[in-house]
Amino acid sequence: MSITEIKSKRAGDKYFKIDHLSGLTIYVYPKEGYNSAYAIFGTRYGSINTCFSVDDGAKITVPDGIAHYLEHKLFESEDGDAFVRYAKTGANANAYTSFEKTCYLFSCTDKFDESLEILLDFVQDPYFTAQTVAKEQGIIGQEIKMYDDSPEWRVMFNMLEGMYKHHPVKIDIAGTVDTIAEITADKLYDVYNVFYNLNNMVICVSGNITVEQVLKTADKMLKPSDKRKITNYFEDEPYEINEPYVEQSFPVSMPLFNLGFKEKADRILNEKQLAQTDILLSMIASQTSVLYRNLMDANLINSSFSYELFEGPGYCSVIFGGESRAPKQAAEMIKQYINKLKNQGLDEKDFEIAKKAVYGDIVSSLNSVSSISNAIADYHFNGNEMFAYIDAIADTSFEDVSKRLAEMLDVSNCTLSVVKQLESED
Amino acid sequence: MNFINRNEISNGVYFSSIKDSRFKTMKISANIIVPLSQETASENALLCGVLSRSCKAYPDFTLLSKKLSSLYGADLATSVVKSGDCQVLRISASGLDDSYAFAGESISRELSSLLCSVIFEPNVSNNAFEEEEVEQERRQLLDLIDSEFNDKRIYANGQLIKNMCANEVFGMKRYGTPEKIKAVTPASLYFTWQNILKTAKFEIIYIGDSSADKAQKVFENAFSNVQRSPSSLRTEVVKSSDDVKHIVENMELSQSKLVMGFRTGTAIPDESVNATRLMCAILGGTASSKLFCNVREKQSLCYYCASRYDSHKGIMTIDSGVEGDNLEKAEKAILKEVEDMKNGIISDFEIEATKMAVVNSFRTSNDTVSGIETWYANQLFNTSFKTVDEISAEINAVTKEDIISAAQRLSLDTVYQLKNK
Repeated sequence: MSITEIKSKRAGDKYFKIDHLSGLTIYVYPKEGYNSAYAIFGTRYGSINTCFSVDDGAKITVPDGIAHYLEHKLFESEDGDAFVRYAKTGANANAYTSFEKTCYLFSCTDKFDESLEILLDFVQDPYFTAQTVAKEQGIIGQEIKMYDDSPEWRVMFNMLEGMYKHHPVKIDIAGTVDTIAEITADKLYDVYNVFYNLNNMVICVSGNITVEQVLKTADKMLKPSDKRKITNYFEDEPYEINEPYVEQSFPVSMPLFNLGFKEKADRILNEKQLAQTDILLSMIASQTSVLYRNLMDANLINSSFSYELFEGPGYCSVIFGGESRAPKQAAEMIKQYINKLKNQGLDEKDFEIAKKAVYGDIVSSLNSVSSISNAIADYHFNGNEMFAYIDAIADTSFEDVSKRLAEMLDVSNCTLSVVKQLESED
Repeated sequence: MNFINRNEISNGVYFSSIKDSRFKTMKISANIIVPLSQETASENALLCGVLSRSCKAYPDFTLLSKKLSSLYGADLATSVVKSGDCQVLRISASGLDDSYAFAGESISRELSSLLCSVIFEPNVSNNAFEEEEVEQERRQLLDLIDSEFNDKRIYANGQLIKNMCANEVFGMKRYGTPEKIKAVTPASLYFTWQNILKTAKFEIIYIGDSSADKAQKVFENAFSNVQRSPSSLRTEVVKSSDDVKHIVENMELSQSKLVMGFRTGTAIPDESVNATRLMCAILGGTASSKLFCNVREKQSLCYYCASRYDSHKGIMTIDSGVEGDNLEKAEKAILKEVEDMKNGIISDFEIEATKMAVVNSFRTSNDTVSGIETWYANQLFNTSFKTVDEISAEINAVTKEDIISAAQRLSLDTVYQLKNK
């Protein structure tokens, strides 16, 4: 077992990375003076991992939505529900499934050791029967329907369908009422046994805790796993988008749009590329930008406007979105502005401001134990390190960002998704 | 535990500071409290937005945004909320603590002065705000009202309150109406601004490591030129309901929404508020609550079924998203859990576990700057500010009998269904 200390002079903080003998990677980020602690136990397994093999064996294909279904069912064990066990410690527990990971978490101010024990225990102890699996159909069915009625959710997935021809990132994380009907206890055990291997997992803890404290519970609770080779299969995804425009009518009074630029996704961006991209996007579309001002003055966006880099295994895109009464015009203005920057170059003063803003955001996020734990898990799964990202921001030059712009945001390779109002019936 | 220092720096103007060295950021917020009314709510909400867009020193939105970004991504945010029968306009500035600046700038001092400038030195001329600024903010506010319809859970809860409190001022929206927003002029807004400086109650809250003395001085000076005559603030609390209103609305949706509104008979500053809060949490505030365990887990009727207590207005709401055919079944299942609470079918474990969960959430909120701000902002109508430890002790002192009494005070007022067709 090895313990590495990771320090940041700029942030004035440090944390520890432990390669545990069980195969699990453990991160501990102590926060002095805090009342609470936040722990997150995650596996590199999400909605996109629907076709895979183990140790070069046969390819296995599983129903859409199974990772999320498994997340719900793991809370149940033979002798009861994990929420009931947490009720004895006062911890606030939850879980979530995203495209590329599934995470179980809790926050507490007291009885941390007991809560950590519960977390490590139930995630390592699957219990699925035909009956418990059937019971969840109604609950997840309503979760799916709730998202079906969410215009923000639909506008994004419609855009992903427009951007990606094959990649499973375009499929709803929870699946559909039909695909989840195919899920059985056996299938849940199959995916569990592959992806919930400690070598494929991470735990991040931040707050009023120590390394010794976390290791004591980890040593007691973790069941060593043999390393296995997991291969995920994604059909070859072309660089080109699928459809440039998609729309859906909805009972809304404010139309919405997502404009997604499909990027090359051969490998995950490293800390430097990430810092360059974040500064670049802030220069292009933050509230201080000329683009934001022009969109506002033309009444094409409102304060709901936002942008993000959306990236994971085999997919990468930049998404601009928000409410707009004229989504097509808004998208056109964004594309024209990006083209103009590509032709005429960026402004160095804007760069200095954006760099400070991006730096301020990440340093501020180190106030919160939940932000810290979630961020460390994300950096870990992407093969990056958080403090290296902070240094990369400070070290980024204007030339780096200009080069970055030349490599991305291809205005001939983007999809506009619109959710518009229902036509009136009279 | 943090120590709060609260001073009245002018008639009805309070400056509170909380020194905390744990954080990398500081925050200062001005909570401007006025009576909620159909006549003024839209004008006030619009004013809040216009003030935060610019000021004399940074007379347009982009200049002000650039100033904030160059202060390491500092933020100037606004919110408008209903708190009982009052409207709270909040403008807050937050940013990195001074020690993290690249070149030793004093971010906290600049932000405190900036907040004071946007309130006291707005971009006005000839007794009117800039027309363009007003138009932009008017459009934003109208969009915001429309966007509340986009989220059906928010919409359904809004419809419940509108119907339940149709005869109370609380039944109105926090931003007023689109008609009133459209009627505002740059000159009327100037009058509103002047009036608010004189008559609103101000609660300024500073949280950070660096000293608040200078920030307090800045606000003291600004208010020393204002002739203050604060209006009185009160909330009408309807103690109980005699009969149940049923409202049904149809819409093209996948899922139906059910919202039930109860009168609790208790609101701030009553002592029984804590018992009601705990009763509500046992019923539907946690993942081991009665509603979660029975309506969701046992009967698989829904994904969410939660209760929420508005201690300012004395109302409890329960909401869920269900299959259209299951609306009646879900309503019965929810009412059964409420009946169990009234009949005292509550285990000691449920009470102890919920007390722990509530205290845990209080203490966790104390670990973020915005959590601390919210903690005190939620007490603006209490007689005095209490710390997390003080209110936790009060929660732990609540007895089973108190909880049953709180449940027995519940009376169902309105049931709202948004039915999918």
